[in-house]
Amino acid sequence: MADFEPKIVSFLCNWCSYGAADLAGVGRAQYPANVRVVRIPCTGRMSPKFFLAALREGADAVWVSG
Amino acid sequence: MKELMEHMGIEPGRLQFSWISSAESTKFVDVVKDVTEKVKALGPNKNFVKEAS
Amino acid sequence: MCTEKCPKKVVDTYNEGLRKRKAIYVEYEQAVPLKYAIDPTQCIKMIKDKCGNCEKVCPTGAIVYDQKEKTTKLNVGSVVLSPGFKPFDPSIFDTYQYSKFKNVITSTEMERILSASGPTGGHLVRPSDNEEPKKIAWFQCIGSREINRCDNSHCSSVCCMYATKEAVMAKEHNGPELDTAIFYMDMRTPGKDFEAYYEDAKENKGVRYVKSRVHTIDPITGTDDLEVRYANENGEIVKEQFDMIVLSVGLEIPPETVEFAGKLGVELTDNNFAKTSVFNPVKTSRDGIFVCGSFQGPKDIPESVIDASAAATAAGEILTESRNTNVKIAEVITEINVDNERPRIGVFVCSCGTNIAGVVDVKAVAEYCETLPYVEFVTNNMFSCSQDTQEKIAETIREKNLNRVVVAACTPKTHEGLFKETLLAAGLNKYLFEMANIRNHNSWVHKETPELATEKAKDTIRMSIAKVALFQPLKEAELQVNQTALVLGGGLSGMTTAKSLATQGYETHIIEKSDKLGGQAHNLLKTVQGEDVREKVAELSSAIDSDDKITVHLNSEITDVEGFVGNFETTISGDNKIEHGIAVMATGASPYKPEEYCYGQDDRIITALDLDRKFMDNDAALKDMTSAAFIQCVGSREKDRPYCSRVCCTHSVDNAIELKKLKPEMNVYIIYRDIRTYGERELLYKEARELGVIFIRYDRDNKPSVEVKDGEVIVNVTDHVLGRPLEIRVDLLTLATAIIPNRDEKIAQFFKLPVNDSGFYVERHAKLGPSEFATDGVFLCGLAHYPKPIDESITHAQAATSRAVTLLARESIHTNGEIAVTSPQNCSSCGICVSVCPYSAPSFTTAKGPNLGRAEINPVLCKGCGLCVASCRSGAINHNGFDTGQIYAQLVNVKEAV
Repeated sequence: MADFEPKIVSFLCNWCSYGAADLAGVGRAQYPANVRVVRIPCTGRMSPKFFLAALREGADAVWVSG
Repeated sequence: MKELMEHMGIEPGRLQFSWISSAESTKFVDVVKDVTEKVKALGPNKNFVKEAS
Repeated sequence: MCTEKCPKKVVDTYNEGLRKRKAIYVEYEQAVPLKYAIDPTQCIKMIKDKCGNCEKVCPTGAIVYDQKEKTTKLNVGSVVLSPGFKPFDPSIFDTYQYSKFKNVITSTEMERILSASGPTGGHLVRPSDNEEPKKIAWFQCIGSREINRCDNSHCSSVCCMYATKEAVMAKEHNGPELDTAIFYMDMRTPGKDFEAYYEDAKENKGVRYVKSRVHTIDPITGTDDLEVRYANENGEIVKEQFDMIVLSVGLEIPPETVEFAGKLGVELTDNNFAKTSVFNPVKTSRDGIFVCGSFQGPKDIPESVIDASAAATAAGEILTESRNTNVKIAEVITEINVDNERPRIGVFVCSCGTNIAGVVDVKAVAEYCETLPYVEFVTNNMFSCSQDTQEKIAETIREKNLNRVVVAACTPKTHEGLFKETLLAAGLNKYLFEMANIRNHNSWVHKETPELATEKAKDTIRMSIAKVALFQPLKEAELQVNQTALVLGGGLSGMTTAKSLATQGYETHIIEKSDKLGGQAHNLLKTVQGEDVREKVAELSSAIDSDDKITVHLNSEITDVEGFVGNFETTISGDNKIEHGIAVMATGASPYKPEEYCYGQDDRIITALDLDRKFMDNDAALKDMTSAAFIQCVGSREKDRPYCSRVCCTHSVDNAIELKKLKPEMNVYIIYRDIRTYGERELLYKEARELGVIFIRYDRDNKPSVEVKDGEVIVNVTDHVLGRPLEIRVDLLTLATAIIPNRDEKIAQFFKLPVNDSGFYVERHAKLGPSEFATDGVFLCGLAHYPKPIDESITHAQAATSRAVTLLARESIHTNGEIAVTSPQNCSSCGICVSVCPYSAPSFTTAKGPNLGRAEINPVLCKGCGLCVASCRSGAINHNGFDTGQIYAQLVNVKEAV
C-alpha cells in the first residue's frame, strides 16, 4: 500500500481556501500532490451529487473546504 | 450525509470538510497533509466506482 | 531564482529582524506588486561591483543594477497625506530592558511570531531558546500616556485591543493552559464589538488582566525567564515569573514625517499629529492638503479606512469640475459570434520562467494536451502574462480561429482578469476562458515530486479543458445608475453626506423624521476643541437650505422601497415617490434614559446632555455648587448592552474641566470603570487631573449607589485606593448614559440590511468596509453604525459619500456574467431559492404570463455564490461559469479516460 497515491478531489471556495492554497504556493510550502482542485464560487455551491459523482469517476475521496 | 454514505457502503472518511480563511496558508497545508494521510490509510476507493465499460 | 542564488543575507525588517532575508527579495508574501527588488544598501554588486549572480541566473534579463530613483513632476489639485506611524522604540527605557533581554519583545515582534507567514511559521516560541512559553506578560502603554521619558502624552488607541487579541491568539496557538497576563492602566476597548471581545477574553478565554504598571524586570539566573515586580490593587508588592514579556508599544509619528510636514507647511499638534478641526477632520491647516490614517491621530483599521474614504471625498470635492478629464478611453473590439460552433480550444501552458518549468515538465504537458478532445492548438510560453505574449495569444486566437481558451499558469485570482482582457482584444467573449492553476497549487508546492506534479498538471489542465468546452458566451447586463441620492436621517452625519454629495453635483434628498435638521448635535455644547456645536449645525443647515441640489423632507418617514442598486424607488409619507440610485443610512441614535441611580427622583440627578443644556443656558446654579459627581458607563458595558458608548468618558472629563474652570474650589468627582480618553483626548484627562478632578474607580460587580435622603443627593462608592466606602454629598450628579441606536426594523427590511443584537447596523466588513452595506448601493454613517464623537461622525459621513460617489460616478454598471439564472419552465415555485439567497436576488415573477409566480433572479443582485443552484430541488437554476454540467465535466476528467 506504500505506493498508493490517492486522488482527492477538493472543492475549494474561491474566496477562502482557494486563496489559502494560492498563498501556500507563494510561501513555497510543500505538501503531497494528491489533491485535484475544483474551484467553486462558494461552498454553498457544493452538492452531494458532486461528491457521489467524484467517487463514481474514480476519486478516492472528496474534500470540501470553505 | 455521513449516515447515507455508510448506508451506501462508502467509508465516511472519504468525505472531509474544513474551513480555512484565505490568509491561513499554514492551516491549508496542514489540512492537505492530514486529509491525504487519512485517505491513504483508507486505501483506494473500490465501492461505487463506475465500472470500466 | 535570483533570491535563491543571492549570497548576501540581510536582516529582514518586515519580520522585525527576527529572521534573515536575501539582498534581492520580495518584502512579504502579499506584496503588491509581487515582484523581486534589490536592496541597494546591501547588494554586493551595487556596493562593490562584485557577484552579479542574479543577473546571470535571471531567465528574462529583468535585472538592472543602475536603475535610479526618478523624480516626476505632477500637476494636482489636492494632496492626501497618509504617511502612517512608527511603532515606539522601547530601547530608551532601562526599566524594561528591551535591548538586554532576548525574551522581552515588542508587540510588533509578537505579531510576526504569531503570523503563519512569520519567522517561526506561526509557532509561538520565545526568541532565546525557541521553546514554547508557558507564561507570557503584556505591558500596556509603552511609549504612550507617558511624558517622563518618551514625551508621548497621547493614548495610542489600539494597544489594549491588539494586546487582548495577541493574548487570545497565543492561547489558540499553545493551548488554554498557557498563562497570559495583561498589565494595564485603563482597558480601552471602545471600538465596535471590541468590548464584547475583551469580556470574552477575560471571562471565557482566561486572559488575566492586572491593573498595574510594572516597575522592574529582573533576569532569573541560570534561565532565560524573567521576574517582574509590581504593586497590585491592594498596594502590595507582588513578584511573578514569566517566560516572555511583550511590550505593547504605542504609535508615534517619525521625525521624517515631522520634517516633511514642515516642508509642506502643515501644522502639527503637540504630539506631532496633523492638526485638524472637529468639523473638518481630514483637512490639514493648508488648503488642498488632506490627511488620513494614523498621521491624523492614532487609530485602528476601520477608522483608518473611514479616514481614507473621507479624505478622498474632501480631496474630490474641490476637483468636481475637472472630473473625467485626463481620462484615457480603451478601444472596444466587436465580439465574434461563436454560437453553434464546435469548440476549438487553445491551450497556453506557461513556464513562468522556471517557476513552473523547473518542476513540471511543461513540454510533456503541452504534448499531452494536444491529444485531448477539441484541442486545436497548444503552445508553451515563457511568461504568459508579459505584454508581448499577451499580444501573441490574441493573434493566435484570431489566426487559428479559436473559440475557447485555457491558460495553464498561475492563479485566476490574480491573472484571470488580465487574460480575459486578452480574449476581448481578440474579439472573443471573455467568459470563454478558464485558467488551470499549475503554479501556486502545483509547481511551487510539489518541488520534491516532479513526476507527480507533472501528472497533477495534466489532470488539472484536462479538467479545465473539459470545463471550458462547455462554456457559452455570457452577457453582462448594462444598467444605468440613477444620479440622485437619498439620505435617511438629517442629523450631523446625514447633513454632511448630503452637502458633500450636492457639492459633487448630485441631486440629494434628505428624509428626516423630526421637524428640523441637526439631530443630537442640538443637545451638545461644544467640541473637545472648544468649537460651538450649535453654531456649526446652524451654518450647515443654512448651507443645505440654500443648496438647490438638496431637497429636505422634514416630518417624513419611508413607507416603501422598491428596486435595487442604481434604481431604487422610495415612497415617503404623503405618497411622495423618489427615484434614486443610492441610499445612505444616517439614522443616528438616542441617549439612554436611565432607570438606575435614582434618575427622575431629584432634579439634581441629570444626564450628560442635560448638563450640556445647563451650560448652554448659562444656568447660574452651576456656580453655586460646591460638589459635583459624574457616574460613567450608565447603561453601557452591561450584560444586556455589551458595548462601550465611546464618547462618554471624554464628554464627562471635558465637562468636569468646565466645572473646575467655572469654580476651581468645587469638588468634582468622576466615578468610572476605565477612563477611555483615546488618542489625544488623553490630554483632557491629564488636564482634568491637574485641575484636581477626583477619579474614583468601580467594578461592574461593585457599582456605586445613589440615595436621596433628607434633601441631599448622596453617592456611595468604594474607594479603589483605600478600599474603604465613601459617602459623597453632591449638588449635581451627572449620569453618563449610553448611546442607543434608533432601531427601525422596517427600514432594515426595506433595504435588506442586517442589524446586530444591540441594534446597530452591520456594515459590509468590520475592518475594510465600514461605510457600506453588503447590499449594493446602500451606505452607512454616523451613530447608526456605532457611537462616535462629532469628528468621527463627520469623517464617517464623508467616507459614506466617497463610497457612494464611486458608484454614482460610473453612471452605469455592468453585472457579472457568472451568476445564477432560472429556467422558469422547470420552476416549481417552492421558494427555496428566495429564502436561502443572502442577497435577496431571487423573487417570484409578478409579470403576467406563463411564468407568473415562478422564480427569477435579478442579475444585478446575484453575486454568483451558487447557494440557490445547489438548493434548487427542481434543477431549474443554472449557474453560468460553474454550471452543474461543467463541474461534472471536471469530475469526469479527474481520472484519465480509460
